[in-house]
Amino acid sequence: MIGKSDDIIIKTIARIFVPFLQLYALYVIMHGHYSPGGGFQGGVILGASMALLLITHGYDELKRRLPEGVLLLLGSLGVLIYAGIGLLCLILGGNYLDYSQLSVILGVDAAHARSLGILGVELGVGFTVMAIMYSIFFDISTGGILPEDQRREGRVEGER
Amino acid sequence: MRLCRYFLYPTQPGVIEAMEVTLFIHAADDAFRILENAKAQAVGLLDTATRLTSETRWMEEKKLQTILKGAHETRSGIQSFVITFVMLMGFWALLSGKFDAFHLSLGVICSLIVAYLSHDLLFANVRVGDGRVIVRRFLAFIPWLLREIITSNFYVAYLALSPKMPIDPQIMRFKTKLESDISWVVLANSITLTPGTVTIDIADREFMVHALDRKTAAGLDTGEMEDRVAHIFMEADHIYIQDVLDVSRIFAELKRGM
Repeated sequence: MIGKSDDIIIKTIARIFVPFLQLYALYVIMHGHYSPGGGFQGGVILGASMALLLITHGYDELKRRLPEGVLLLLGSLGVLIYAGIGLLCLILGGNYLDYSQLSVILGVDAAHARSLGILGVELGVGFTVMAIMYSIFFDISTGGILPEDQRREGRVEGER
Repeated sequence: MRLCRYFLYPTQPGVIEAMEVTLFIHAADDAFRILENAKAQAVGLLDTATRLTSETRWMEEKKLQTILKGAHETRSGIQSFVITFVMLMGFWALLSGKFDAFHLSLGVICSLIVAYLSHDLLFANVRVGDGRVIVRRFLAFIPWLLREIITSNFYVAYLALSPKMPIDPQIMRFKTKLESDISWVVLANSITLTPGTVTIDIADREFMVHALDRKTAAGLDTGEMEDRVAHIFMEADHIYIQDVLDVSRIFAELKRGM
């Protein structure tokens, strides 16, 4: 388990940077449909901000902010959004992920519908990538054993 | 026997003589009692003083602990939420550069999410103080720091280029008088930014700094940078507390001596 850092400099800088990092990640996701970036890149940045919080402020602090269950839910929700938009296009008579079909539901012209459809898909990708990136990092750092289980088994917290 | 009495009381021992002796003994007794009282009072006074100073020290340590724990919240949750939201919204406008309703509303939603997730991070332990004054003083600190960086750049270049290379690497430690984590970080990063000196660690308010030679170490030892950082974050008041704390040691010495 990666214990939390004792270094005041790292802790303070992380404390100040994490909100801006998260907002930057959301910016990359939201502007993915017409500028470089997108769901995957933004999701990775968001996951990295979580990892930064984990190694500086510890697992308990992160759990208080974003419980494990919510994270898993976000991961599944992302896949659901992606598949849902794709299937919706299929149902409306187009191909899978043929966004122009969405113009019927959204009530806008085909080009605008494409842009909005891509945004929705990016959002789903971002959620999933964030949750999965974070849980991969977390699993590697703990060896797959949650800190609660470690405590129950009587191991020392912060053991590396 | 008779002779002895004669020598002791040459003029025939009388009532007066005996009374004088008793009086003298009484007076001596009184004097002793007064002295004892005075001593007891002084010891009590010193005890109180020592206890008070140790209480101050205890409070000081407790304050430090709360600072380290990050539980020293002076701003309410709502206030920090709003300030964080405004800052994030400004950052979003800077990044996005698109001011149509759609993108701005996206920005508002994203800023709200991030502010909800981490509004307690940005203002984890803000001391009492005017934020605007701190920002103004911090901006005034930057030109000074830049000048410092440029001059020590030239000095380090001189050290590296001179044929003898007269370096004298050393690690120096000093206790800081700064109080909050943000001021420690500003001082540590200013030291690291200045060529020739690198902050290695901060532990128990003690800075561990690597200096390239004696002159850069001496420049750091004057504490000008520390004073300036203390000025930014309005932390000059600590000096008096420190003085009081130092007196407690003197009191302890005095008590042991009595």
